[in-house]
Amino acid sequence: MGQQLLEPDVSFIKVLNERGGDTLKKCFQCATCSVACPISPDNKPFPRKEMIAASWGLKDRLVNNVDIWLCHQCGDCSVMCPRGARPGDVLGAVRNVAIEENSPIPALAKAVNDPKKLPVLLLIPAVLFLIMGWVVAPMIWAVIGPILGAIFRFDYTQTTFLNFSPELFHGQIAHSAFFNTWLVDMIFIPTAIFAVVCFALGVKKFATNMHNAAVAEGKVKETEFSWKGIAQALPKVAASILRHEKFNECSENKSRGTSHMMVLFGFIGLFIVTTCFMLILYGSALVAGYDHAWHGPYSQLNPIKWLANFAGIALLIGSLAMIKNRLGKSENHLKSSYPDWSLLGLVLGLAVTGLGAEVTRLAGAEFVTYLTYYVHLIFVWCLFAYVPFSKLAHLVYRTVALCYAEYAGRDAK
Amino acid sequence: MDKKFGFYICSGCGIGDALDIKGLIEEVPEEEGYSNCKTHPFLCSQSGVDLIKKDVADGVNTIVIGACSRRVNWDVFKFDNCIVQRVNLREGVVWSHKDLITDEEIPEDEPNNLQMMAEDYLRMGMVNAEKIKLPEPYQLEEGINKKIMVIGGGITGISAALDAAATGYDVTIVEKEDALGGWAAKVRKQLPMAYPYEELQSPIIGSLIAKVQENPKITVKTGTVVARIAGQPGDFTVTLKKPGEKIPFDVPYPLPDEMKVDENGKELDNDALAVKYKEYNEGRHDILKLDPDGEKFGAVVLAAGWRPYKPAEGEFAHLGFGVEENVVTNAQFEEMAAKGKIVTADGQPAKSVVFVQSPGQGDDSDFPYASSVTSLVSLKQAKYVTEDYEDGKAFVFYQHMRTPGLSENFYKSIQQTPGIFLTKGEVVSVAKGDAGLVVEADNTLLGEKIQVKADLVVLATGMVPATKDDPVVNLAYRQGPAFRDIGLFNGYCDSNFICFPYETQRTGIYAAGGVRRSLTMAESVEDATGAALKAIQCLESTDRGVSVHPRSGDKTFPDFFFQRCTQCKRCTEECPFGALDDDERGTPKPNPTRCRRCGTCMGACPERIIGFADYNIDSIGSQVKCIKVPSEDDFDEPPLRILALVCENDAMPALDIAAMNGLTYNHQLRIIPVRCLGSVNVIWIKDALSQGMDGAILIGCKHGDDYQCHFVKGSELADIRMKKIGDALASLALEPERVTQVQVAIDEYDKLPEIINKFCEEVEDLGPNPFKGF
Repeated sequence: MGQQLLEPDVSFIKVLNERGGDTLKKCFQCATCSVACPISPDNKPFPRKEMIAASWGLKDRLVNNVDIWLCHQCGDCSVMCPRGARPGDVLGAVRNVAIEENSPIPALAKAVNDPKKLPVLLLIPAVLFLIMGWVVAPMIWAVIGPILGAIFRFDYTQTTFLNFSPELFHGQIAHSAFFNTWLVDMIFIPTAIFAVVCFALGVKKFATNMHNAAVAEGKVKETEFSWKGIAQALPKVAASILRHEKFNECSENKSRGTSHMMVLFGFIGLFIVTTCFMLILYGSALVAGYDHAWHGPYSQLNPIKWLANFAGIALLIGSLAMIKNRLGKSENHLKSSYPDWSLLGLVLGLAVTGLGAEVTRLAGAEFVTYLTYYVHLIFVWCLFAYVPFSKLAHLVYRTVALCYAEYAGRDAK
Repeated sequence: MDKKFGFYICSGCGIGDALDIKGLIEEVPEEEGYSNCKTHPFLCSQSGVDLIKKDVADGVNTIVIGACSRRVNWDVFKFDNCIVQRVNLREGVVWSHKDLITDEEIPEDEPNNLQMMAEDYLRMGMVNAEKIKLPEPYQLEEGINKKIMVIGGGITGISAALDAAATGYDVTIVEKEDALGGWAAKVRKQLPMAYPYEELQSPIIGSLIAKVQENPKITVKTGTVVARIAGQPGDFTVTLKKPGEKIPFDVPYPLPDEMKVDENGKELDNDALAVKYKEYNEGRHDILKLDPDGEKFGAVVLAAGWRPYKPAEGEFAHLGFGVEENVVTNAQFEEMAAKGKIVTADGQPAKSVVFVQSPGQGDDSDFPYASSVTSLVSLKQAKYVTEDYEDGKAFVFYQHMRTPGLSENFYKSIQQTPGIFLTKGEVVSVAKGDAGLVVEADNTLLGEKIQVKADLVVLATGMVPATKDDPVVNLAYRQGPAFRDIGLFNGYCDSNFICFPYETQRTGIYAAGGVRRSLTMAESVEDATGAALKAIQCLESTDRGVSVHPRSGDKTFPDFFFQRCTQCKRCTEECPFGALDDDERGTPKPNPTRCRRCGTCMGACPERIIGFADYNIDSIGSQVKCIKVPSEDDFDEPPLRILALVCENDAMPALDIAAMNGLTYNHQLRIIPVRCLGSVNVIWIKDALSQGMDGAILIGCKHGDDYQCHFVKGSELADIRMKKIGDALASLALEPERVTQVQVAIDEYDKLPEIINKFCEEVEDLGPNPFKGF
């Protein structure tokens, strides 16, 4: 590393302090953390150097640092730290800022991490749905309705987007009668695209910066940047992620691996279910016409329903276990701050409202089930729209960083 | 005093099992007056002590007790107005020679080494008891003055004055500046003095000054310095003056060495020296002339403090000092901070300040006279930057961050201040940048080479003790007006940093605060209490006519037989405490209350005219002479006899501890405890060798850089004298290796038997003393 002019950013330190890294300045650089860490590499190990960079407010050294993503916040270092500096939580806070820094809309990222903005963030989808259902969707429908009507052979003029007193559908409650499937797709498909674009922009910026920083520090073998190389590392990394291999190397918070796995697999299951539902609906509509397509709700005997229920329960139990774990830990083991709680709240909310909407539907409680479904949709929208800015973005950034580390040769121990 | 002897042997603690007690008593010569020989199985018990007390009531006043070491049970075997002579049969004979204890009968023609040793020691004890006198305490002729003078009106001096006044003593504070307060009054804030030791606090000096002003027992003399302090503890005559004034009672200085010789390099005689001395100190009265208008004091607390280190021209040019106007010392920075906001030389806000702890250049040492205080001050001053400017940044580059004790809490609180950045590292350069200065540092915790921008750079230069520049105390002592520079303290005045805080090399003068070592204000306040208590101890001990320190309570003092004095001045020059002055002819003038009773003068005197009531040339010499030296007439292979003169401060306890731990050593040794190796007169060694003893070993404290000698120079002086004795031995055709000196620390008891045994083996290899039997 050459000569560097350092300009500490005090506001960066203050942000880290707010996001769980309030102990970072306690570090006196003994490097116990780097020794204690079960997954830190031998060459330029973390988190000792990240700790001093954080206490000096050296944002540039941290937000593009591949090492912050190698850390899984198991807390071994925090427990061992003789000064109570909790390096694990400091790196968590740093990752949070890194997500914000790399996102294309930093203001939104700041809002996501600001508890005061939570009501606004929740109000956005609630209002958006109403405006879409009453005003925007009918206007769009005027244009795309005839086209879709022709493709899927149905009377598009009969479509009601939001119906607060719907009829029973074939003798049972159907949420689509309340909140039309077309409306769902008109809202969620653009939202998903937004998320993907945000991630794409963020990852592009992140990956190149991360590479340049890693080469400058001399901690990777590969000095050429290659998307192809990173992509080629994905299967190996994905397998490792799915098996939660890194969590198992921890000693302090090993149990977190199980709940994290439940939540991850819950999401994967629900993703599969949603994809299947869409494919079956529109596939059958193409063949038989929209009115005769295989609409939900599915029977409880349907294997897809089994998967949906199973995944929903996994999400519920996983998120509850995570909350219990965080509540039960002393601050020295694992400090929880707003970004942690907001994400866990969202996951729990998703699971509770999802399963709740199903149970109340089966119970025939019309008003309750519609309301629950509405709330559920709000949570789902939040998940889609805010994921590139929230802690959950680690799903993408960490995967990219792990792939990069694998490709570039940042050897783990 | 007519001596009536009593003689007691304890047979407890294994003594009776190992020794033939009856045989010992038979050895006691009745003609010496020891008609009263008694044994007891448990002498330190009530019945044992009562046995002695009964005899004391019957008129016994000189008691010889053959039992345990004199270091134990001294409070049990204590009888008013009696000479008590302890003979160390337990630790010195039985416990330390367990290898000699046997149930088998020893044949007549073979030496019974254990029994012979006990007999020797008993005989030595009896002889000593005959020779010594009961001491009578020294009383000042003119009575004692119990006023305390405090030199320095800073936080240390003020605290010492308040403490001494609170215990009822009259105090005078002498301050050279026109106002009290010193450096403590020139700071913006001071380091935390109370739990939780995290926050800076406002200076406390104002309230202390107010307390001084309303205290009727304290007199304050500002704009005043000490011209001279004459006399001795309990009776100092002090002349005060205004700073810079020249008066006849300014203290005279001793002649420098180059003026003590004539053109040919020959030493001048005393009369010529007196003439030269007068010329050299023209206009100043001799030390022996007392100022009739002088003020009387009993003891002095020296709290003259410190001054900021002044870098020499170009000394820290690589750090921009003297080159860039925005590079300042910590003292200059504090001065600015006390006045107002922190600004650059042209008055702009200094929002980025770099604090440099070490000058670097390949060396990791800190600035001269830097310490934990300079570390803490850097942290304090870094805090000022963040106090003055919300976006202020302070960087501290250190090689050592010294925050001892509870100041660690302060370090932690500073470390957690968002705008303060700390790293270990070597500052390489400070240079002009595009805007302001750029500080470059190497080998930091953040990487090999880093730079930071600075509006202001502060060098953590140290605190130089006032005694570095000036004697301050201006003692009218023949050895000179300052504390003797023994080349170890770098200008600080201390007689032993670790063992004897507050003590200086001058009895009655106790140092506290920055003059003693770099101290924070909290530490200085505490230090002041220590020095004030020492001053009080001095006054009260002097009042009772006993030694102050380290032989606290010793009633003896050196007695001179002046008729035989040859005016060689050795005692005056060698006394580690400057206790002796001399007149124009060179005759020593003792100042008993300055004396610490080490006996260095007694060891130095070639005429052997100096001695103490219970410790003198004769008392030790007679003990040496009564050691029986077996010859070939007695046994086929006579055992050797080796004299050991053992310092009673560390080496003697170490020997006792060795015995208590079951360690054994060579039985041919005969041990005599001495007050200090400095008190060892070579005549004792000459006597020992000329009566046929085979060798002599001196065991004393370490000397040199980490000296442990209780009297500063004793073991070192003995070392020099023993080197000289080698020549004398050679002229007697004796090998110089027969006399040696070793240094031990008190905790090296485990090594001591090895050292002794090795020396005994060496003497055995040399063979017996050829003078044996003559």
